[in-house]
Amino acid sequence: MDQIFFREQDYIQAGSSEHREFWAFFDRFQRFKAKRDMSGSGARDEVKERKRTGHEKVDLGLPREYDARYRINVSVCTGDVEQRMGKADPTRRQRSSGPGPQEVSDCRLALLHFLDFSQKQSFGKLAKLRREQNNLPIFQYRDRIVELVRLHPVVVVAGDTGCGKSTQVPQYLLSAGFTHIACTQPRRIACISLAKRVSFESLNQYGSKVGYQIRFETSRTAATKLLFLTEGLLLRQIQQDKNLDQYEVVIVDEVHERHLHCDFLLGVLRSLLADRPGLRLILMSATINIKLFSEYFHSAPVLQVPGRLFPIQVIYQPIPPEEQPSRSEKLDPRPYLRILQGIDQRYPPEERGDLLLFLSGVAEIGTIQEACQVYATHTRRWIVLPLHSTLSLAQQDKVFDVAPLAVRKCIISTNIAETSVTIDGVRFVVDSGKVKEMSFDPKAKMQRLQEFWISRASSEQRKGRAGRTGPGVCYRLYSESDYNAFAPYPVPEIHRVALDSLVLQMKSMDLGDPLSFVFIDPPPTSSIQTAVTYLKEQGALDSRGELTSIGRLLSQLPVDVVIGKMLVLGSLFNLVEPVLTVAAALSVQSPFLRSSQHNPDCSTARQPLHSNQGDPFTLLNTFNAWVEVKRERGGGSRKWCRRRGLEEQRLYEMVNLRRQFKELLRSHGLLESEDRAPSGGDRLQRRERFTERKKLHQLKRHHEQQEGTKRKVLRMDEGQDGELSSGSDTEGRGRKGKKRQEEDVDIQEVKFKLRHNVSELQEAVSASQDLSSRHQALLKLLLCRGLYPQLALPDEHNSNRKDSEQVFHTRNKQGVVIHPTSVFASDPEVLHVPEDDVRETGPDRRDSSRHQLLAFVTLLETNKPYLSNCVRVPALQALLLVANSVDTNADCTRLVVDGWLELEVKEPEEALRVLSTALSLRCEWERLLKVQLGQSSLGEASGQGVSRRDMEKLSEGLVRFLLYTEVSYSLQRLTAFQTQNLYVGPQSEPDSSYAEVPDLSPLFPGAEAKPDPIKGGLRVSGFFTYNCLADSKDLYSECLRTFWSCPNCELYMPLTPLERMHHEASCRPAGERQEAEKESGDGKPGSSSMSSLTRVYHCDVCNEDLKLTSTEILKHKRQHMFAAK
Amino acid sequence: MEQTATETPQNTFSCQLCGLSTSFTYYGQKPPNTRAIVLLEECFVTKDPFSPDKEKFLVLGSTCSLCGKCVCVGPDCSLFYTKRFCVPCVNRHLDQFPQQVRAELAKKSQSSQPGVTQLT
Repeated sequence: MDQIFFREQDYIQAGSSEHREFWAFFDRFQRFKAKRDMSGSGARDEVKERKRTGHEKVDLGLPREYDARYRINVSVCTGDVEQRMGKADPTRRQRSSGPGPQEVSDCRLALLHFLDFSQKQSFGKLAKLRREQNNLPIFQYRDRIVELVRLHPVVVVAGDTGCGKSTQVPQYLLSAGFTHIACTQPRRIACISLAKRVSFESLNQYGSKVGYQIRFETSRTAATKLLFLTEGLLLRQIQQDKNLDQYEVVIVDEVHERHLHCDFLLGVLRSLLADRPGLRLILMSATINIKLFSEYFHSAPVLQVPGRLFPIQVIYQPIPPEEQPSRSEKLDPRPYLRILQGIDQRYPPEERGDLLLFLSGVAEIGTIQEACQVYATHTRRWIVLPLHSTLSLAQQDKVFDVAPLAVRKCIISTNIAETSVTIDGVRFVVDSGKVKEMSFDPKAKMQRLQEFWISRASSEQRKGRAGRTGPGVCYRLYSESDYNAFAPYPVPEIHRVALDSLVLQMKSMDLGDPLSFVFIDPPPTSSIQTAVTYLKEQGALDSRGELTSIGRLLSQLPVDVVIGKMLVLGSLFNLVEPVLTVAAALSVQSPFLRSSQHNPDCSTARQPLHSNQGDPFTLLNTFNAWVEVKRERGGGSRKWCRRRGLEEQRLYEMVNLRRQFKELLRSHGLLESEDRAPSGGDRLQRRERFTERKKLHQLKRHHEQQEGTKRKVLRMDEGQDGELSSGSDTEGRGRKGKKRQEEDVDIQEVKFKLRHNVSELQEAVSASQDLSSRHQALLKLLLCRGLYPQLALPDEHNSNRKDSEQVFHTRNKQGVVIHPTSVFASDPEVLHVPEDDVRETGPDRRDSSRHQLLAFVTLLETNKPYLSNCVRVPALQALLLVANSVDTNADCTRLVVDGWLELEVKEPEEALRVLSTALSLRCEWERLLKVQLGQSSLGEASGQGVSRRDMEKLSEGLVRFLLYTEVSYSLQRLTAFQTQNLYVGPQSEPDSSYAEVPDLSPLFPGAEAKPDPIKGGLRVSGFFTYNCLADSKDLYSECLRTFWSCPNCELYMPLTPLERMHHEASCRPAGERQEAEKESGDGKPGSSSMSSLTRVYHCDVCNEDLKLTSTEILKHKRQHMFAAK
Repeated sequence: MEQTATETPQNTFSCQLCGLSTSFTYYGQKPPNTRAIVLLEECFVTKDPFSPDKEKFLVLGSTCSLCGKCVCVGPDCSLFYTKRFCVPCVNRHLDQFPQQVRAELAKKSQSSQPGVTQLT
């Protein structure tokens, strides 16, 4: 039969899913026919009846006898095939199994009905879709919207939840003939889901007319006419394509949310409109503060669309004073429980409708969840589910599952459910009126997460969540007068956060002075100035506020400045792989789930991953171990992660980010491109990889088709696992939960395999596994230099304190603590100065060579100021190598770093040695970095870059300095009084000691040592000022000359510290000197290396110009001195 | 498919009764790539948007054999009984249709009653 109807070239092919559906249909159809034949039909009588009564105005020529066949407008012609088969294969006909004419016609009939049925099914879907679209409130404005867009460069479409603007407006423009449409969204997830929905609605589900583009994923092709993308990504595109010529229309959705990127994007587009008169801009917003947007774009027309919400009853239930939480106490759950009880009393359980409860933060959610869970277990009428961003994705996903009959979901959420997550079926909303919001304290350079009252706009938004699917109730745990006192709108993000990245991006887009940029709602001037200062400190901007070459590069990297710096620094040394991993790890949410921290099994399993060097190293170990598991066991990594309380999604994000970083470094010439043929070049391997990829693509497509159709029914005890009964999460999940996770495993693993070559990744990663202590030291230095000035000093009394009471100080904030998730919170001893190394040299002085500092990624104040993602570094060495300002006294035994840390070295001899080594290492490091960056800015990878030898020599030097500097010193913060009188200040008359300023140019090329106009003393290089500290024991540096013998040459004479450093910089060890000579090779051996060190010296005594090295000059001067005596 | 659609964006099928409107890619009795399948009327046809298979087609509608109105194949707008009839024409000549068709229409108008009230 298949050979007649379902041949390879036929409409339905044997073996396809439709073919299977047909045969199922066939069986049903035959049964149906048999049943109908049995019951008999009165068709014939009916027809006769018609003949009797008919008036015969028009004869429609309809057949007299009814046959369902006449209702079908399709026919199948297979006569030729049947005939051919009959002739060509007579044997077949005789066989009893071959299809007889009756069977063929049966099958044909069934096929017709099947075709008719599937046509009806598809058309039904189409009609339903169109009906739904036309019922949306915005549909009536369709023509008006298109007309406005045609007439005006900027249009504001304002409409509340449910009016359909996000899905419909792009479609209206598409069908009106606009072809290059970009629609921005604040959230990545919205880009994907909107692209999916809109392509379905515009009947292009299987085409690529509608696509999305987010950081690591895109479905965009040349055929894409409508693209959903994030605000940040569009900004990046403008960075590359200044006029944004690729788009004809830009829609900015959810402008009322006022995200940093969105506000900035509006400003950029506003100025772009002047250069692109053809560009059309549409702002879409909720009906909040519309005037602001319209006026910003020169009174752009506004189209207001009513939303579609069901009526919502608002009940004000302010919390009575005795139940108000005091500052230190936990939240009192009674007001919340009363509402649950009230609902149970007032509404019969058969009436569906879930409850959504808004609280300010995770701790609050925990408290209320616990209390509600007790009530729920008792009544068996509720399933309590938390919802916040630090939950695992699987747990977050549960809020979309359905509760069993007569049971309601009680979802306890942060403001994530206000806009980002939309849950259908909510009938009751409980609004605490509180929100925790991030703000930035520019003075302490600290982020702060504080609780605030929400705005009226947020309050309305929360209320609206109750009326999406039917009439609802909103309980407000505050009074109406409180409500009226709320601010009208939330504070826009641009007023709350550090603007470093924004200012950097503005600089790279040539937008002029950030202070004069026309923002829709300009951020405070101080905020911008803080950012500019910070960027200068970081070396991204020069003193005139222009981008430096490193700044230009950093502006291209979609990460924090500090992390971008790490990447650039890492590219110089042979440490790219681990730096890539660490940078990626620090840019995503931590993979370590908070809820698993107190689970003993998880902690034990995590233990081997921990590194007491610092959290970035723990993350590095974790990632490496995960890749190893991935390579060995593939999908088994899910279980591995679960056992350790890790959110695997974060690791997937890391691996993607890592790759993006690598590509960015490569495209900027900071990394050699791998010239290997793809995947080793082996043909067989390539083919294998190809077939594997094909299979993976199929799997992915299959998964995408299945997606969204599988909402599970929750179990009664759901929500009790996770935080409450710790550990049940790991193994003891029900079969259902497990099964779902298995399904998820596939798609994540599939996507991973599609994007990455596991063995290649493993190879790259193994380079960073088992770092030698030397590499580790270097990596720490790189992280520290990246993170600088984010450094913290352990309090001197920490060793006498309990583990939980360890205190640290940053330059701008005293008394900060380590976040409990950090490795140093559980193991603070590694930060203490070892007792056996301490030399008590005074009442307040503890000398040691083992002082350490913490470099940290974030300083965030919640209930306390917390440091997270810390790494420990040797204090003296790290400071000398990374600090922006190092000031010394005359004999260099007292050093003040960045005006807040004081280091006192006992032995002047040692102090000089250390300082001098650090200076020359730093100088060389700077030089190589400049070469590396200069090379990248020229874009020529082939040019003479940093030679491998130079790089190896430098890293060798740095490592030796970091690991083997045994100098005993004390380390403390300066007191306020000390800071006031820190410097000697400018000297009015040239001091005799400075009269003979040694030329330091070979030590610090390009910088001339000159008196510092503010600090006094001698500014030797950008960061080093000599002899400017006010308490200098002796200002007559001439008297500080001590006899010194150079280890490299035979020089032995009394020198000042500066002279000595100077000599050390120019005098190289004998071995090296020889090498240099060999290198310069041809012609004059030795002279070239020497000549580079010589310069013209005019001796006043001899009145002669001499060509001498600096040491020779010193010797020469000595001669005169001794002669005079 | 993609290309023919971009070349002729004006090919819009629109039902004169319910207003359903969507673009079509073929008009006639023999849609492309349908092999043995032939339509028994001249139809507006598009690629079936709900099938991943590029060659699956979907009949949107055709013209009423009596009044010549352009109607969609939705059961509220037209029916096929050896020829295409729009529902108003069927009602006008109800007596010529067999009992099965009449019963079907009667049943539909009954069930659609509450639907109408819901809309208002």
